[in-house]
Amino acid sequence: MASLDSAPAVPLKAAPAKGRLPGGALLGLGLLVLAALPVLLGASNYLLGLLISALILSGVSLAWALLGNLGGMVSFGHAAFFGVGAYASALLAGKLGLPVLLTVPAGGLVAVVASLAMLPALRLSGPYFALAILAYAQIFRILATEASWLTGGGAGYQRYPGLPTVFGLDLASRTGSYLLLVACVTLCALAYLAVRRSPIGLALRAIADSEDATRVVGVNATLLKCLMLLLSAFITGVFGALNAHIIGFLEPDYAFSGVWSLMPIIAAIFGGYRTIAGPIGGAVIIYLFDQIVAKGLIAVGHQIILGFVLVAMVLAAPNGLLGLAKRGGRHA
Amino acid sequence: MTDLVLQALFSGLLVGSVYALVALGLALSFGAMRIINLAHGELVLLAAYCAYVVEGRLGLDPYLAIPLALLVVSAVCAVLFLMIDRIREHRELNSLILTFGVGIILTNAILLIFASDARTTASATLQDATSVGPVYAMNGEVVAFGVSLALMVALWWWLKTSWYGRAVRAVSSNRAAAKLMGISPVRTELVSFLVAGALASFAGVALYTMSVVQPALGHALTVKAFIVTVLAGVGSIPGVFLAAILLGVTEALTVTLASSALQELAGMVLFLLVLFLLPNGLFGARARRG
Repeated sequence: MASLDSAPAVPLKAAPAKGRLPGGALLGLGLLVLAALPVLLGASNYLLGLLISALILSGVSLAWALLGNLGGMVSFGHAAFFGVGAYASALLAGKLGLPVLLTVPAGGLVAVVASLAMLPALRLSGPYFALAILAYAQIFRILATEASWLTGGGAGYQRYPGLPTVFGLDLASRTGSYLLLVACVTLCALAYLAVRRSPIGLALRAIADSEDATRVVGVNATLLKCLMLLLSAFITGVFGALNAHIIGFLEPDYAFSGVWSLMPIIAAIFGGYRTIAGPIGGAVIIYLFDQIVAKGLIAVGHQIILGFVLVAMVLAAPNGLLGLAKRGGRHA
Repeated sequence: MTDLVLQALFSGLLVGSVYALVALGLALSFGAMRIINLAHGELVLLAAYCAYVVEGRLGLDPYLAIPLALLVVSAVCAVLFLMIDRIREHRELNSLILTFGVGIILTNAILLIFASDARTTASATLQDATSVGPVYAMNGEVVAFGVSLALMVALWWWLKTSWYGRAVRAVSSNRAAAKLMGISPVRTELVSFLVAGALASFAGVALYTMSVVQPALGHALTVKAFIVTVLAGVGSIPGVFLAAILLGVTEALTVTLASSALQELAGMVLFLLVLFLLPNGLFGARARRG
């Protein structure tokens, strides 16, 4: 906070954000502690499985919101990073025999390399960037299908190791995977918080207010936006890799599925993409709702309900549930 | 081999004309509202399924579906417009997400009603081949090409001469100045949106009569329309037409010379090349992309 207060050079329109910073962080940590409860209370394997998938989505949603909130860019193609991370980690572990604990972050790094290919799209501002990234996501799915000598093609790839046992904790077990994911999501939330509080975060918020004015003061806006894209790609790749080792099977249509682009958007918008706790909590709620309620109502095409949720949120509460709660609290 | 390449060039030309219609609709609504309608491909898809209903369920000629498609698509466009118009904060970002959501609703609604099967016309007349010199085309393709050309000329004429056409161009180039000249931006936006919807209706019926439609096509069409827009650069109608034909020909040549699995990739590679080498597009003189 001190760094924020001692930086009067850039007038901050988002003054209330100052008060929101620790609140959001506390809420996020609170949510994660809450999320750890099922393990302590001994939940069923089915519920743990659902929560594991939900937390994977939480991580991707957080990465999406980081790009959207700090970078000011809407991505419709995070499936590309997710799939690249998944395949890279699985192939490094399966074909080269590297330890999984190394290949997971390596998957994130390969996703960063993949995102470098998107940098020319940063020349396209605003809505055009969103469309370019939509197009990019398709490229990787086709490449993974066509490079069958490497990826097994459409038939899928499955002979690669799962998560290892560390310090006596079997990460491949449901409980182990769950705890690992809680840790990873927390770590990413803290990283997000650190970036937001750093001078880079300050500059990014100034860019959001007026990109031209910020450039005049000597901030390299494009470079900072690039950094956010790379960080977002890294986090998404890591969660893609974790997911790959947890489920133990990959095929292009699954790893690069549009679902990995769509669900984070809905989760982040639903929870409130300008907060840290919003995307995490939103992902858990949206995923459980989709799997338990929506799929029960409509077997094929259950995403139509999510579409309605998305439209309703944008129209009625564009700042998400957290924003809604905050506004309600202020009025009361 | 020469015959095959010639045939690919010809087929690419025919399908490219329909891509041009889809891309023009996207560009028109973007020009007036500064908003990219991510559900535009789904609007085309909706029109295509109107044609399927008229032919497959009612047993009538698919071209009779055009009034129905115009009605349905315009209604959806009007609702979509009212929703976009309600957005107050972060209009650009929120409208992208909104239209994306509407696209998901439309795709899944079509999936729910018509299942994921691929549909195409059953009319023998439309599927019959006409020979043009050494190459062949389905009758449906020839009609679609002719209608697309006519619509593009009509759109050009409308934008150039009619009062609303001038209003759309005025709002596109300077919204505040247009407002001062007594043009209602909201009404102009609505008109451009509805015209885009009308183009989508024709494109959808054309696609149904010349090729195969399925629920996932909507999203792919939006991407194609975007690729065409980037290829064309600044939106002039002939530029969009040429870029769309380039995309159609590239896809057709890829299918003929390599494999149909790479068809989508060819368009993307073209798109990347232009983005890297000619950031202003093939026909754009000025950098005006955002």
